[in-house]
Amino acid sequence: MKCRGTGLLSAGAFLAALIVLMMSGPAQSAGMSAYDIMKKSNDLLDQAKDSQTTMLMTLVNDKGQKRERSLSAFMKKIGKGGSKSILFFNSPADVKGTSFLVWTEEGKDDRQWLYLPALQRVRQISPSGRGESFMGTEFTFYDMGGHDIDDFTYTLLKEEAVDGEMCYVIQAIPKTVEFYGKLTVWIRKANFIPIKADFFDAKGVYEKQGKFTRVKNIQGINTPTHIEMHNVKNKRTTIIELSEVVYDKGLKDDIFTERYMKRGN
Amino acid sequence: MALAVFCATAHSYEYEKNDVKVSLSGYLDARAVAAFGRDTPREYPTTELGLDAKATISSWGGARLYLQLIDDGTVTDPGNGLLVNQLTKVYQDKNPYLDVDEAYLDFFFEKADVRIGIQKFSWGRLDEINPTDVINPEDYSQGSMNEELERKIGIPAVRVSSYSALVNVELAWIPRYVPYRLPKPEERWYPGPLKAPESVETDGTVGSIPVTSTHKDISLPDAGIESSEAAVRLSKLVGDWDLSVSYYRGYDVMPITDVFSDLTIEIVDLLALDYTLELDLTYKPALHKMNVWGFDFMTTLGSFTVRGEVAYFDEKRYNRRMQSVLGQELSRSKQEEIFNEFYQNYLDSGGALTRQTFRISPQINIPMKAMKYGIGVDYIYGDTSVSMQAIQEFVPDYDNSMPVYFINENGYNTLITAMLRQMFLQNTLELTLNGAYGIEFRDYMFRPSLKYSFTNTLQGTVGIVVLGGKYDNSMFGQYDRNDEAYVRLRWSF
Repeated sequence: MKCRGTGLLSAGAFLAALIVLMMSGPAQSAGMSAYDIMKKSNDLLDQAKDSQTTMLMTLVNDKGQKRERSLSAFMKKIGKGGSKSILFFNSPADVKGTSFLVWTEEGKDDRQWLYLPALQRVRQISPSGRGESFMGTEFTFYDMGGHDIDDFTYTLLKEEAVDGEMCYVIQAIPKTVEFYGKLTVWIRKANFIPIKADFFDAKGVYEKQGKFTRVKNIQGINTPTHIEMHNVKNKRTTIIELSEVVYDKGLKDDIFTERYMKRGN
Repeated sequence: MALAVFCATAHSYEYEKNDVKVSLSGYLDARAVAAFGRDTPREYPTTELGLDAKATISSWGGARLYLQLIDDGTVTDPGNGLLVNQLTKVYQDKNPYLDVDEAYLDFFFEKADVRIGIQKFSWGRLDEINPTDVINPEDYSQGSMNEELERKIGIPAVRVSSYSALVNVELAWIPRYVPYRLPKPEERWYPGPLKAPESVETDGTVGSIPVTSTHKDISLPDAGIESSEAAVRLSKLVGDWDLSVSYYRGYDVMPITDVFSDLTIEIVDLLALDYTLELDLTYKPALHKMNVWGFDFMTTLGSFTVRGEVAYFDEKRYNRRMQSVLGQELSRSKQEEIFNEFYQNYLDSGGALTRQTFRISPQINIPMKAMKYGIGVDYIYGDTSVSMQAIQEFVPDYDNSMPVYFINENGYNTLITAMLRQMFLQNTLELTLNGAYGIEFRDYMFRPSLKYSFTNTLQGTVGIVVLGGKYDNSMFGQYDRNDEAYVRLRWSF
């Protein structure tokens, strides 16, 4: 059964959903298969038809020095298995006005555009550039786009506690290695929200870890509002704090166009 | 319930009440230059204060006012007492000055946006040199050394953009032409082709004639429909291709000039047939309308982003090379004609008219059909991005007997540009290598720079600019003596 990720659901739910939606498949645990666990987590995270959120993104270098960026993100499910999302950078001054647009469609490569206010022009981003860092963060363009969960095989490894919460531990191996060679994700048993995930690069070397905490119930959807992505290779971390999350506001399709990229948030 | 919030962040000031939101941001910029050449006009440090106020009114409107207060280190002798840059003059001749970069109102409708006021257009897909981006004139006070958007001059216009699944349409109407800006002839970045020669070499007995020159400002046509400009652009996403076609009817934004020549002959010693000659050239910006049909595209192919533009110009004007023009206008037969007239006038006046002036009005600019087209390719790998472009201008009916600037004898001018950008330290350190090479004229520009973000609001840049070429009347060769190193500090708020 194909189940496609909806890309940028919200910064927090998005990454959690990304991990979840990348993973489904037949693996057994007492009463629930790995696929069942993933599907349930996905269904819980992916309830909204659209969302908007404000993010504070903090980039921490290997010396502990911090830089902050403020963004606004909008997402909407389109058709069957597709989605559109748009990000606006609100601060600091050197990135203010920059916007990033992603269209995902089932069975097709994502389409991505970047608007740079210094040029007043929109630039398409090549799909192969998606493995690269997004605006200097530990997230890649690939992370920001949508994914097909049927592209992985899954194994339920064990159950263990993380930060006092019991979790299912599930491993996902891509059928075709593009950017990640393997993922391991810990799903809370209590609410099926991911709590952390380990990312391994195409060669299977441990690359980064994501953490999803401060889960809040927003309009009935459990939403991690604090996400950390730590890169073990370069010792850098990106922290995302979500605020003003709103689901199902009835966003219009034309928000996700070049017109609004230029108009700004 | 009314909500009035005023908050000052480290980055901008915002005010929000009911459905109105106002934000104020800006920057303070300082730049100092160390010229490598000793015989070029000195450039003092330049400071700039930018203030950008934006407002949104619910979902139906907005406004922007973007001002720049500049103390320009390239201005050597400011003469005009006014503070605000005018939209009617080529030579602004003031320092410090206030520039209204953009000032407009936006009205948002369901399927259309309307923008009225001083604004900038950015058509086309290439970087820096856009064949189809012909609406805004540019400020050449810094040569072409500052960024494309900084060079553009905001113009009063009405822009209507409509959006539909079939096609997006952008209409522009410019009620009155706004001229480009030039530095004064004695300043650092004055274009070489617009400088008068020190002398003109002629055939015949006259030989070399010394030259003096005057530069006058532009005379704008009377306001009216006839002197207004208009443009339209249709855009559509077809599969993975962003496509646009455009048409522009308006004045050429490039510096085109008329020149009036006065040849003065004065008898020094009649018996010895000794006389002096002096040629006084009066340069005046010329205005000519042209038609431009354009097409541009953008897509991704494999790992690359590919962008391109094509423009066809009808009635585009080119400045002829002054030495060639005056050499023709002062041919041997023309000299004989002038001297015959001089002596006849002298005799008719009974010897009174020992000094006479003759007006020569050479055709200094000529219309030609032309095409300009280019393609660019981008590649991103990690923190490295590379862009390359090839842009060519072609004049199919080029007449070798009337050579013009920046086009070779075969009617071509080809430019290759390359840019390498490498980010370090989580995008806080940026190394940029920018270069360009003109194939026909073998001229070049190399501009490496290093920019560091000390904080989110403070950036420093160091760089050098190297310009040169085989010919001193080529695009980069004209600034051969302007090589420089610079340091720049910008605080943004």
